[in-house]
Amino acid sequence: MQNLTKNLSRPAGKAAAGRSRTPPRRVSRRFLAVWLPWWPVERLAGRRPEVRDQPFVTVSDVRGRQVVAAGNRQAVQAGLAPGTSLADARAIVPQVFVAPADPNADERALESLARWAFRFTPRVAPASPDVFFLDVGGCAHLFGGERALASEVRAKLKGFGLTSRGGLAGAPGAAWALARYGGDALGVVPDSAGLAERKKALGRLPVTALRLDEDVAAALASFGLDKIHALLDVEPVKLAERFGPQPSRRLAQALGLLADPLAPLRPLPLREARRAFAEPVSRPEDVRAAVDALLEDLCETLRRAGEGVRRVRLVCHRVDGRPQTLEVGTSRPVRRREPLARLFAEKLKQVAAGFGIEEMTLTAEAAEPVVEEQLGWTAPNVHENSRALAALVDRLGNRFGFDRIVRPAPRQSWTPERAVRLQAFDGRPPQARKPRAPGRSRSTILRSPDLRRPSGLWAAAAWPGAAPRPVRLASPPQAVQVAEFRGDGVPVSFRLGGDLHWLRAAEGPERLEAEWWREDAPARDYYVFEAEDGRRYWLYRELCDPARSAGSGSASIRPAPPPRWFLHGFFG
Amino acid sequence: MTLATKDRQAALRRALGRIERASGGERAHLPLGIPEIDGALPGGGLRRGCVHEVGGDAAATAFCAVVLARAGAAGGSLLWLAGDGGLGRLYPPGLLRYGIEPERLVMATGLRRPGDVAWAFEEALRSRAVKGVVAESPPLGTTASRRLMLAAEGSDVVGLLLALGTCGGAGALPTAASRWRIVSAPDEEAAPGPDSRDRACGLERRRVRWRTGRTAWRVELLRCRGGKPFERIVRWEDGRAAVAEPGQIPCRI
Repeated sequence: MQNLTKNLSRPAGKAAAGRSRTPPRRVSRRFLAVWLPWWPVERLAGRRPEVRDQPFVTVSDVRGRQVVAAGNRQAVQAGLAPGTSLADARAIVPQVFVAPADPNADERALESLARWAFRFTPRVAPASPDVFFLDVGGCAHLFGGERALASEVRAKLKGFGLTSRGGLAGAPGAAWALARYGGDALGVVPDSAGLAERKKALGRLPVTALRLDEDVAAALASFGLDKIHALLDVEPVKLAERFGPQPSRRLAQALGLLADPLAPLRPLPLREARRAFAEPVSRPEDVRAAVDALLEDLCETLRRAGEGVRRVRLVCHRVDGRPQTLEVGTSRPVRRREPLARLFAEKLKQVAAGFGIEEMTLTAEAAEPVVEEQLGWTAPNVHENSRALAALVDRLGNRFGFDRIVRPAPRQSWTPERAVRLQAFDGRPPQARKPRAPGRSRSTILRSPDLRRPSGLWAAAAWPGAAPRPVRLASPPQAVQVAEFRGDGVPVSFRLGGDLHWLRAAEGPERLEAEWWREDAPARDYYVFEAEDGRRYWLYRELCDPARSAGSGSASIRPAPPPRWFLHGFFG
Repeated sequence: MTLATKDRQAALRRALGRIERASGGERAHLPLGIPEIDGALPGGGLRRGCVHEVGGDAAATAFCAVVLARAGAAGGSLLWLAGDGGLGRLYPPGLLRYGIEPERLVMATGLRRPGDVAWAFEEALRSRAVKGVVAESPPLGTTASRRLMLAAEGSDVVGLLLALGTCGGAGALPTAASRWRIVSAPDEEAAPGPDSRDRACGLERRRVRWRTGRTAWRVELLRCRGGKPFERIVRWEDGRAAVAEPGQIPCRI
């Protein structure tokens, strides 16, 4: 009996062992790690080509000191290593460009860059702060091989103004090590490499290439274990006894002996509806019916996902291979068919069907979550009204652009043309605000708690309540000719174009100054000028800044220039 | 034309007037809150569901604001299709003293091509989403004008076509339900003082007195269906310099 079980169990065990020895046919895992050595700076410089080849650093606040957080190659070569104080950096390189460091924005930008890499592989994982992994197993052949793929990625990144280095291996750890410490050329551990070859490929790299904590790396270095091949000679148990589990675990992960999970990004869900026709359609009513059906599908998808669209794109693939594209936008997320259908109905005239359309796709280019609103028992009209208004704004916005359909909001500024902010209509009801109390001085701006956060400023902004403001504003202010003045400084007449306007009555002056940081804008004295025919104008005189004219030199010798007068508005 | 035909025409006009007044009454008309003017208008105010033309100088903008404020007094959205005509651009803080909180306004700016304003105006009138629309527009043709009237028909929206710079009262909107011309007038009650030209070398060195919120307009009704043209001086005054409540706009003749 015992024999029998032995006999029975042995082949079974053998078979199991055999299966584990010869792994099932599967695509081998291959990882491309891309390291962006100057990421925080090049990310910012990419948008400003004029600073691309200049020394550029980001600075952060460390215990009250401004310290260089990261620099680009030019800066680091000039000696501005991270940790240098900003004052020192300015002394070393006076023309250095400086921007505040923002690690959170760096991380977000890295994630969006990783999303961009979905074009190469469906599995992409960003690894903060400056590396992202591409799982290229099984898709490298689409780009002509692993090396071709890696060089394409790097060429595209170079096009964005980003320096990159790559490492390609069967384990993320090894790919990371090769990218980080492998030099400018792409470091590759081939797929066919055995354990010995992998050890050899990694052996020449420093131990920091194993993504060790700083103190562990320092402890290893103090024992003279500064290269990976030195670690390979030490027994893992001894290593763990002295330095904790991290070095041996990381080593095993880099060699592919231990799992090394990544956190890949989820691709954004695609909201799309597609319809192919057996016979090409070309009649306008057929096209309209097809769009209606597509919208129905898309809206159903959106309803399930709890989202609404802000921008929808319709692509009509024609028989002759020339796709026709239409886009409509909405002022707030929509997931009902009717409003979208109305917006499309206007634009469908632009579709030239030619010999016929064989396929149509409708894609939600921008989708946002929709919060379901509780309909009130008492005031259902409010909801209905805002919905109708949103539909109207959508129609206007699709024709003229959504930036043209605006709602005025106050801004904390005493310069009249800056005191109004025209913000794009977003469908939300305006918050009730009290008019600014009369007699408050402009020092409210200075007392504002947080000047760097604009929302704090705007939240405090209000309309000028008591002061006279015109109903129409000349933009820009028109220079007027003024010859004589009354004793109190009010002009007796002003000439605009060919017309001469005589004074009948006046109010003022109201002195309005620009914010202190706008040095180039002089203060203005505003007068309400009532002409003899009863029309009222808003005139102002630019005040010459005595400090500035003194600074320009010889102020006492040269007479001050006559004040310039401008017409800035019309009262009703 | 014989006398009998004239009599019949007059009788028909009266009948039409009765029918128009009967269909809606107070709800079909928007009173301006100025009894003397409202009394002179058929139905006691501006007819809703149609488009009126307002011309003149900057005072016309203010007049439109007053009408718009009253149209939106009971809630609802207000739309202003702003152009940039000869008199600068609309400045929302200036509307505050005529009863419009700027945040309530939805503005369309920079409509430059000729047909744009007419199209947007028609869309707004047809949508039933707004209570009042002001469109700053160059003169419209008969067809566009008639389209606007059809779009507004049957709704309670008040449409105003603000024709800036047409001080001559030339019809910018041929089918307008009423046509107004509003221009600034000298405010006779305000102390005018001695002739300003004599004051040129004056010795008075005091700060000029604030006279915030006093304005006078010459309001002319040039044309009105079923009503008679008139001309009045209206003084606008809000001495307390507060935001005028839309319901009680301090206006008197």
